[in-house]
Amino acid sequence: MTEVASLRPLAAVAVSAVAILGILAAHRRPNLREGVTLVAAACKFSIVASMLPGVLDGTVYVTNLGELVAGIPFALRADALGLLFALLASLLWIPTSLYSIGYMRGLDEENQTRYFASFAGALSATMGIAFAPNLVVLFVFYELLTVSTYPLVAHDETEEARAAGRKYLAYTFGGGVAVLAGTVLVYVAAGTVGFSAGGIEGLTAGAGTNVARLAFALLAGGFAVKAAVMPLHSWLPDAMVAPTPVSGLLHAVAVVKSGAFGLSRVVLDVFGPEAVAEIGAGVPLAAVAVFTFIVASVIALRKDNLKRRLAYSTIAQLSYIVMGLALLKPTALVGGLLHIPAHAFMKLTLFFCAGAIHVETHTDRISKMAGIGKRMPLTMAAFGLASLGMAGIPLLAGFVSKWYLLAGSFAAGQTVFALALLLSGVLNIAYFWPVVYQAFFETREESDEKPVVDAEIGGYWSRVPDHYTPRAAMADGGDDVHSHDEGWRRVGWRGGEASPFVLAPILVAVGGAVVIGIAPATVYFFRIVRLVVENVTGVAV
Amino acid sequence: MSATIDLLTAMPPAFVVLAAALILPFVSRRVGHALGFVTSLAVVPWALALSKSPGRYLETAFMGFDVVLLNVDDFSVVMAVIFGGFGAAAVAYSYYVDAPRLQTAFAVSYVGTSVGAVMVGDWLTLIFFWELMAVTSTLLVWHYGGKAVRAGYRYALLHGAGGSLLMSAVVLNYVQRGAETFVFTGEGMASGLPAVLAALGIGVNVGFIGLHAWIPDTYPRPHIGASVFLCAFTTKAGVYGLYRAFPDGNLALAYMGAAMTVYGVVYALLQTDMRRLLAYHIQAQVGYMVAGIGMTSALATAGGFAHVFNHILYKGLLFMTAGVLVYRTGQNSLKKLGGGLWRRTPVTFVAFAVAALSISGFPGFNGFVSKGMITAAAHKKHIFVVGGEDVLWWLMMAGAVGTFMSFVKFGYYAFFKGSYDGDVRDGNVGQKVAVSSLAVACFALGVAPGLLFSILPLSGEWTAHPFTVSHLIEGFVLALLGIVGFYVARGAISKVGSGRDVDAAYNPAVFYGTRAFARGTTTVYAGVDAAVVRLAQFCVRAVNQPTETVQAILPDGLRERYEERVNSKPGETGLRAGIGDTVFVVSLVLAVILYLFL
Repeated sequence: MTEVASLRPLAAVAVSAVAILGILAAHRRPNLREGVTLVAAACKFSIVASMLPGVLDGTVYVTNLGELVAGIPFALRADALGLLFALLASLLWIPTSLYSIGYMRGLDEENQTRYFASFAGALSATMGIAFAPNLVVLFVFYELLTVSTYPLVAHDETEEARAAGRKYLAYTFGGGVAVLAGTVLVYVAAGTVGFSAGGIEGLTAGAGTNVARLAFALLAGGFAVKAAVMPLHSWLPDAMVAPTPVSGLLHAVAVVKSGAFGLSRVVLDVFGPEAVAEIGAGVPLAAVAVFTFIVASVIALRKDNLKRRLAYSTIAQLSYIVMGLALLKPTALVGGLLHIPAHAFMKLTLFFCAGAIHVETHTDRISKMAGIGKRMPLTMAAFGLASLGMAGIPLLAGFVSKWYLLAGSFAAGQTVFALALLLSGVLNIAYFWPVVYQAFFETREESDEKPVVDAEIGGYWSRVPDHYTPRAAMADGGDDVHSHDEGWRRVGWRGGEASPFVLAPILVAVGGAVVIGIAPATVYFFRIVRLVVENVTGVAV
Repeated sequence: MSATIDLLTAMPPAFVVLAAALILPFVSRRVGHALGFVTSLAVVPWALALSKSPGRYLETAFMGFDVVLLNVDDFSVVMAVIFGGFGAAAVAYSYYVDAPRLQTAFAVSYVGTSVGAVMVGDWLTLIFFWELMAVTSTLLVWHYGGKAVRAGYRYALLHGAGGSLLMSAVVLNYVQRGAETFVFTGEGMASGLPAVLAALGIGVNVGFIGLHAWIPDTYPRPHIGASVFLCAFTTKAGVYGLYRAFPDGNLALAYMGAAMTVYGVVYALLQTDMRRLLAYHIQAQVGYMVAGIGMTSALATAGGFAHVFNHILYKGLLFMTAGVLVYRTGQNSLKKLGGGLWRRTPVTFVAFAVAALSISGFPGFNGFVSKGMITAAAHKKHIFVVGGEDVLWWLMMAGAVGTFMSFVKFGYYAFFKGSYDGDVRDGNVGQKVAVSSLAVACFALGVAPGLLFSILPLSGEWTAHPFTVSHLIEGFVLALLGIVGFYVARGAISKVGSGRDVDAAYNPAVFYGTRAFARGTTTVYAGVDAAVVRLAQFCVRAVNQPTETVQAILPDGLRERYEERVNSKPGETGLRAGIGDTVFVVSLVLAVILYLFL
């Protein structure tokens, strides 16, 4: 591993911070303002991507900016794990920016300048988190991310939005305080808080087991707030009051993933898998994660508001990542880390779809969406694909990460966790597929009540007599048997269903999920993940 | 020669079929069906040509594991031939029962993923196609809409669980024995947990007793064309997977298979919905195949695969003929058909008769040959011997008698009893061609089984003598018992009703169990969340309005004095402190905490 002094990590952080000024300056000219966002997004991604070949070859890019506090350098350091997160967030900011334009303008939202400025700020903070070289710098940017996303959560300025914003601040700042306390403990014990692949040497020896446990609990607990590990999750569903692109990029990709990412730093680069195993923290953390993804999936079954259902799905899927990290085995680490991009592409697709439905039809409740596949065919097809991926079915990214998580669970001897993972896959089918089948195969007049689990067993169809044949498919033939349904205006498959600004990002995001699913080895994320795990454990997976 | 092989192994046959499925919705119905027919049929000569050069082709890596996208051995060839050939027949039939394009597109993608599943050479890609089969078949069921949708949802859930179990078996096998076990080596699953997980996962597909209820729940509900596809692929791919997981057999499987033959037949006898009756017979017939895989002899294994081949032909034919009756009468139930149809639909009747004789194992028809291979292997004493024969054999014989009874019943109610009042015609030309060709195949393989023997696996390790005197007598006796049995029992059968199966218990258990759990959790969490929010609000209020908070807490007597003080000295009460005092208190608290913990 060679360290190279470079301004690129700083540039990656700074470009969107500078863009804030441009966005504010151009507040009277929306097209120019959005142009600034798009240029900044493209620049940020290019800067991050330019470091990719070097990082894959073992180079680490470092920008040194002096000392933050005595003994703790303020620097930005692009290593493999950091690049994983930075690459993902900067890449997805591009489609999300396009989508934001389509969404915000489609709904004629107020305060768009504040919105785009805050978004740019959040991306700066995200890069800072990714490239933080030690816990203190990580903490600073972690809190900055909270601050910059508050205006986005409370964007609507309604009482509900403000309450959600307050709750968001209370939870995440609380987590931040725990992180800071844990950081202090680590500093006292080890004399440093700098990240080091495989863990800081002598941390547990210097601290003693109990203090090390306390430090781990504080750090993991603090990051677990943003990673929405139960019972610290409750801010996330409430934050769904934010505009959908915010829910998409921030609450499915950047913010929650900053929690998962912080946890990866703690497990891989502060303590190291061996030390975590030594203090016996892995299995309890994994157990909490398993609890979270089962319970959150079960709660998702009952949510009728599509965004809320997606929020609980996010809570569940994030715990896949946490479980992978907590199992500490190389294959599990690959599964957990790979789920960061895998989940990002799939969940972004799902949120974009929910937003597209909202913009086009002002429908938020699943129970009102029967037959909506006619009105929004491409959107719902993308939704269907992404939900397959959530269940870990092949062709989608979710299969790949689930495979490794399963292997890691078995390798760790945790058969129960592996079976819980399988149960979770079935629960994903249970809460996503009714959305899909009612979109394409039911009509407004004839459909199961949703949520399925709260209606009577068998749903609407159990009350229909057996000889009933709803489709005239037997006698008179005809090509499309679904054409006589009223309700939704039928829109073809050529993209007439929504603005291209909304539709294109959906297709890009789902395309990413499919590419990772079909050809994982060709995708850089997969290579970075394997490099990270090899650096930490010395095992090539 | 090698140039030909290079061309044939340029890509897996499944990809061509899947490509046709992708094109299908975008061309006319006629062109689309033709495309599906041709690509599916092409798998037959393709696989037969490859069979002369067995081996692994298209070896590549997926997720860093070595995988084999095209594996040619005896087992994959026989499966590909029947899957491709029957897929073509079913596409043709679909065209003539007015299946819409999109439905056939789903169906052809189902054929493609099935052909893919049996022609890959490793567990990882098998899982890949296995799960895609579940997805494509779910779409095929859903497409019909109506009651099929909810049945398809149950189907998807169960197959999601089954696929996951198989996946976990594969992963555990790999964790225990290393990545080189991915490629089929003839070893099968490691014994212990991997084998159990694999058996359960595959057990969903083949319809182990208790895991089978999806078959009669799903298969009668969709379009008649869709049922024809469904009856062929999922369960048979399951049998194939079972062989890959247990190449050396396992007697527990054999007994499960034998029990399935009886269980399925008993429930089949009670059904009046034609396709539901046939669906139960799938379980029963797959039982013979499972028993064949389970018994450790080459003859039984080859018999299992022969029965896969023959079963797809006659069961497909049965679903086609039942479909013609539904198509012409609009009725699903034997009781509502009206009966007496044989004069009006003679071609359908003859085709049905051939299929019924085949499934019942009557001499001269294909089922007789393959079932005979399995029952012959069961003659060997295994574990539980009663009356000179193993329980396995007795169960299979009982299943065979029940099958005869059941099809005597079907034929009697559909074609003979009573007379049909309305105007009803035989199937249209295309339907007649489709059913006739399958009927001819059933008959041809019944009288000239050598045709099939030549492509069966493990050749050289077994010999079959289907037409021995004792075996022929066995066939006739079973038929006689079946006819007599139906005559004796028919009154009782119609009184019993269609019977409640295991899903009548587990559907409510799962549904209400999940609901109770979900409601319980949501209530608890909502309560916790509300409490936390209330506490937070109290803290905020206490800080913002300290005076009022103090007032609210104090007992009555003190409160009055406090209020006096508030009024007399405004701004100096309510726990307000200067900044210096605040810093002092906070530092003190921190110091105490640090002292305690460090």
